[in-house]
Amino acid sequence: MTTLPLFESTLLSSVPLGRTQTGLVQIELEPRPLIPTRSLRPGEQYRFHFDMKKCIGCKCCVVACNEQNGNPAELNWRRVGEIEGGYYPNTQRYHLSMGCNHCLEPSCLIGCPVEAYTKNPINGVVLHSADTCIGCQYCTWNCSYGVPQYNPERGVVGKCDMCHNRLSDGMSPACVSACPEGAIEIEIVNVAEWRSDFLTANAPGLPSADDSISTTRITLPDNLPPDTGRVDTQRIDPEHPHWPLVFMLVLTQLSVGAFGVIWILDALRAGGSLTLAALGSLCLAAISLAASTLHLGRPVYAWRALKGLRRSWLSREVLTLSLFAGSAGAFAATLLFDLPARSLVGAFTLLAGLAGLTCSARIYMVKARPAWFATYTMAEFFSTAVLLGPLFICAWNITTAPWLPFAAAIGGSAQLLTQLCKYLWLSRSDIFELRGSSLLLSGRFQNLFVARLIILLGAGIVMPLVAASGYQLTLAFLAALAGEWLGRYLFFVSVVPKNLGAAFISSGRAH
Amino acid sequence: MKSVLDWKRIVGLDNKSEEYKYARDESTGYTAAKRIPEKWVATTCGYCSVGCGIEIGVKDGRAVAARPLESHPVNRGKLCPKGLSEHHIIDTENRLKYPLLRKNGKLVRVAWDEALSTMAQKFRAVQAAHGANALGVLSTGQLVTEEFYALGKLVQLGLGTVNYDGNTTLCMSSAVAGYKVSFGSDGPPGAYEDLERADVILLIGANLADNHPILCQYLDANPNKTVIVADPRVSKTAMMADIHLPLKPRSDLALLNGIAHLLIRFGLIDRDYIAAHTTGFEELEKFLEAYNPERVAELTGISQETLFRVAALYGRAKAGFIGWTMGVNHSTLGTATVNAICNLALLTGNLGRAGASPFSITGQCNAMGTRETGFTSGMPGYRKFDDPADRAALASLWNIDESRLPVKRGLAYPDIVEAAVAKKIRALWIIATNPLVSFPNQDVLRQGFSNLDFLVVQDGYHPTPTTELADLVLPASIWGEKEGTYTNSERRVSKVNQAVTPIGEARSDFDIFLALAEKLGCREELFPGWTCPEDAFNEWRRVSSGRLCDYSGISYEMLSEHGPVQWPLGVGEQPQANTRLYADGMFDTPTGRAKLICAEWAPFPEQPGREYPLVLNTGRTVEHWHTRTKTREVPILERLSPRAWLEMNPRDAKTLGLRSHDAVDIVSRRGRVRGVELRLTEITAPGQVFMPFHFFETNVNEVTQSAFDPISREPNYKQCAVRVERAQENPR
Repeated sequence: MTTLPLFESTLLSSVPLGRTQTGLVQIELEPRPLIPTRSLRPGEQYRFHFDMKKCIGCKCCVVACNEQNGNPAELNWRRVGEIEGGYYPNTQRYHLSMGCNHCLEPSCLIGCPVEAYTKNPINGVVLHSADTCIGCQYCTWNCSYGVPQYNPERGVVGKCDMCHNRLSDGMSPACVSACPEGAIEIEIVNVAEWRSDFLTANAPGLPSADDSISTTRITLPDNLPPDTGRVDTQRIDPEHPHWPLVFMLVLTQLSVGAFGVIWILDALRAGGSLTLAALGSLCLAAISLAASTLHLGRPVYAWRALKGLRRSWLSREVLTLSLFAGSAGAFAATLLFDLPARSLVGAFTLLAGLAGLTCSARIYMVKARPAWFATYTMAEFFSTAVLLGPLFICAWNITTAPWLPFAAAIGGSAQLLTQLCKYLWLSRSDIFELRGSSLLLSGRFQNLFVARLIILLGAGIVMPLVAASGYQLTLAFLAALAGEWLGRYLFFVSVVPKNLGAAFISSGRAH
Repeated sequence: MKSVLDWKRIVGLDNKSEEYKYARDESTGYTAAKRIPEKWVATTCGYCSVGCGIEIGVKDGRAVAARPLESHPVNRGKLCPKGLSEHHIIDTENRLKYPLLRKNGKLVRVAWDEALSTMAQKFRAVQAAHGANALGVLSTGQLVTEEFYALGKLVQLGLGTVNYDGNTTLCMSSAVAGYKVSFGSDGPPGAYEDLERADVILLIGANLADNHPILCQYLDANPNKTVIVADPRVSKTAMMADIHLPLKPRSDLALLNGIAHLLIRFGLIDRDYIAAHTTGFEELEKFLEAYNPERVAELTGISQETLFRVAALYGRAKAGFIGWTMGVNHSTLGTATVNAICNLALLTGNLGRAGASPFSITGQCNAMGTRETGFTSGMPGYRKFDDPADRAALASLWNIDESRLPVKRGLAYPDIVEAAVAKKIRALWIIATNPLVSFPNQDVLRQGFSNLDFLVVQDGYHPTPTTELADLVLPASIWGEKEGTYTNSERRVSKVNQAVTPIGEARSDFDIFLALAEKLGCREELFPGWTCPEDAFNEWRRVSSGRLCDYSGISYEMLSEHGPVQWPLGVGEQPQANTRLYADGMFDTPTGRAKLICAEWAPFPEQPGREYPLVLNTGRTVEHWHTRTKTREVPILERLSPRAWLEMNPRDAKTLGLRSHDAVDIVSRRGRVRGVELRLTEITAPGQVFMPFHFFETNVNEVTQSAFDPISREPNYKQCAVRVERAQENPR
């Protein structure tokens, strides 16, 4: 062991002394304060900065947040997701800790029908009022990050408020002070500058910041493997079915379709007594509107939903469908008592109904839920109206208008075409959420989805065309109604929302 | 029913705003009102051995909040997620409130007096019939030091059995044994500050980021460091490293020998230190010839170039730190591997200086307390059973006849289990541990326990898989309900304080030990005049005086006023911020020199083969503690980590036709774990799988192996051969 072989001494001398330059966290010798030390100037707001290089995935922030806000374990206003990439042994797993991004264009706020959300004009924090909230949960569909979360115990939504009350006292938010690595901090951002360049709000495992202009700045590691991505994409859990909405949507669509048919029949003088059918349709509309309030966490405050007309499609839906129900009542009365101006009232009813259906569909066409964010949603809702409206009237056996079953079959065909095209679109997409939706339909919900298509074909197209008696048309109507309910159930459960990439293990079960 | 009647909530008039309201408080700032306490009680965290200072917030006699104790030197105002939610473990539904005695096959509530009388009488009966050593005691690393000290005396002198060991044997006994062999005594030489002061940090089988996350702060604060992590799995910690050594399972000993070989070959050793303070260099030099880089690269899977680089880095370090945990300890070569680590430190003189230490990062909050004061693998104060001077000194301190001290160590934990299988141990007392989850190869354990005449389990919680088997269950008060001290990995003694009164009729383990001694008629002899833990602490100070683990200068008063203090601290000495052992190069061996040990590498005992082709590695996740008795009662931790998973490389899964989230069974020669969720990930090497051990519902120890280190008796948890298959229908 006296002299070194040449290659060994080369190797040895090539070893750099001191630090090598791979992945380690650089820590400032003088720790910086993790909250702003000066006050905000005009045009500025607070925001989170998350340093992915520092985070070790300990989830202290999640625990501290739940403690700070006294939330049950099921709600996590701050969450930690995982992303992973590379191949053994050059694997990298990083964590993504996220509260609310206090966006410049907060989709929660824009969608809220009761104006429970405000963006604080001074510090830019997006605040939510639990007292104003009626628990419609529309914000939970609107946010691309899954930030607002519904608390069934309270009947209202809640979300991260950056602990702004602590900040104003000069104290750190709970997540900031709990993080052992100093990976989360509050900093000041110039709103106009950020709006022009918010590239650093993006990270693998996060939806695009374009949706709402997230203000959270994320420091990414330099050596992220190119395939770095979410670790939770193999597990696609169905969304909540929202039964009252399944019920309500189909019935309002039916009712609008039925009033359309009644109005036409009345104008053509083609029907017998339309009064009963009108009253029946009115009842369905009323029942469905009443049922929809069951969806709310706080039904008694349903009326507040009219407050957000300026921005919220939900408010607009409430207004238009209320107008529809009101004028449908008036239209039924004109039929019952054979009053004048019936045709005008009927036309107004139909217009309000169509506006209602449009607003209904627009509610669901949100960027955060890609499978809904398409004309298919509009087509699906209107097809239901065209299918069920005529069939419903047929089922009353009050008219022999030969075009009615054809109209229904057109609706059925449109619906079938919509469903097939939508499925093809979903299944051929590269976008995780869209493909995920198709995988739910072809996987866990395969039987229901096939049943829905068969019912559509049978009860929505074939039976109306071949039915020889009113009795058969009644059967067709009932089957088609069940089929549409099933379809709307699938509509809700099969949507895969955008979200922060989650941890691999969820609270669901292995399957 | 409540929700049906709660009509105000259903219609939405009530949104529980009272329950969810916030308030401002001077001590907490603006926060959820229900978490604002009336007072804060300073104490030490009761989970791991990092030993963080923590404050428990108390309101209406209940623990409602936990927060870091800002003044504590260890955790610097931070806690891990378990510590941040630790107040939730105290008042849970499954806390055991009353003693339970099995009558006609059922556990029924009895009074304390009946419980302890029955225990004393049954133990004595078994000992009378089968010999004093037919009684076994399995303790823990979770009690306070005062309790360990009392328990040691009670078991060895009162009950008179030598068959006493702790779950620390499942945890860090290899570190203990390794230190004893290399340095002549147990005792981690370094301090956490070393992580901050070292310029080269080698972590072996240690996943700090998951298991000791608070220590990562020390790494972060080190401005000039190279971190090398040896781990077959790309753990969170491995990802933080400058150099990750993805070595083959259990090739760490070959790696260490290979580095030692290169250090000697390149002369990167401290010849003066070796000459002055060690023995065995010539033998070691000769022995290490076999560990040439070609062979070591082959054994470890680490390239020669990397080996050279690592050797050069450590050999040239101004202060080289080696930290290890269970990757090293959980091995049939655990002790030998610790010796090889100590070799590196001794060869380079990386010992006894700031930043320079071979440092075992311990597991449980007070594993150190039982190592120092306990009476299991040695006598209190790191005294040796076979050292006449130690025996005489201890006998005189206790004022007993020397013949009452055992002449050698009794059975270690796995040997107690074996003895139960062989019906040599007939009664067992288990304290604050849960072997029905934690012991390897559960079949053997169940068989052993089924042979027992009488099983006593003393625990804070019931049911646990272990209390369910007991004949007598004693309700112990837990962290937050009692007083004493913990000693952490860096020898720092920290005060543990009572925040709330014990639940139900639960009593502190200290009280239980004294009460049992009373029943046995030895209380006055063993615990003269003792009424509270401080009495035990003061006797322990005298007993430890002059020993390596000298507590004589530490008092409760000092701990309250000064905060935590490192041992050794003699009477009258002033506590220093950070101390290292062996700064003077004097070791507790007959020659005063440390021993360089020739530690031969061997493959792990159960190699994968055709039928069981995968190597199973077990470990932890940050959200849970050990057998999850406590952490599964914390909803937020359960939410974050609700069940076990099995990590497998996608390349292996492809050949098995398995996908992520599939439910799989893990099968070994010993058993089957059913229905574990599969996670495909490049974290784990092809040919290896990993599973956390916290979950009794899917207990990985159904398949782990009965293979133990010959010296430390620590189980080889980290490698065994398994196969993975799609989950069978559960036959139950």
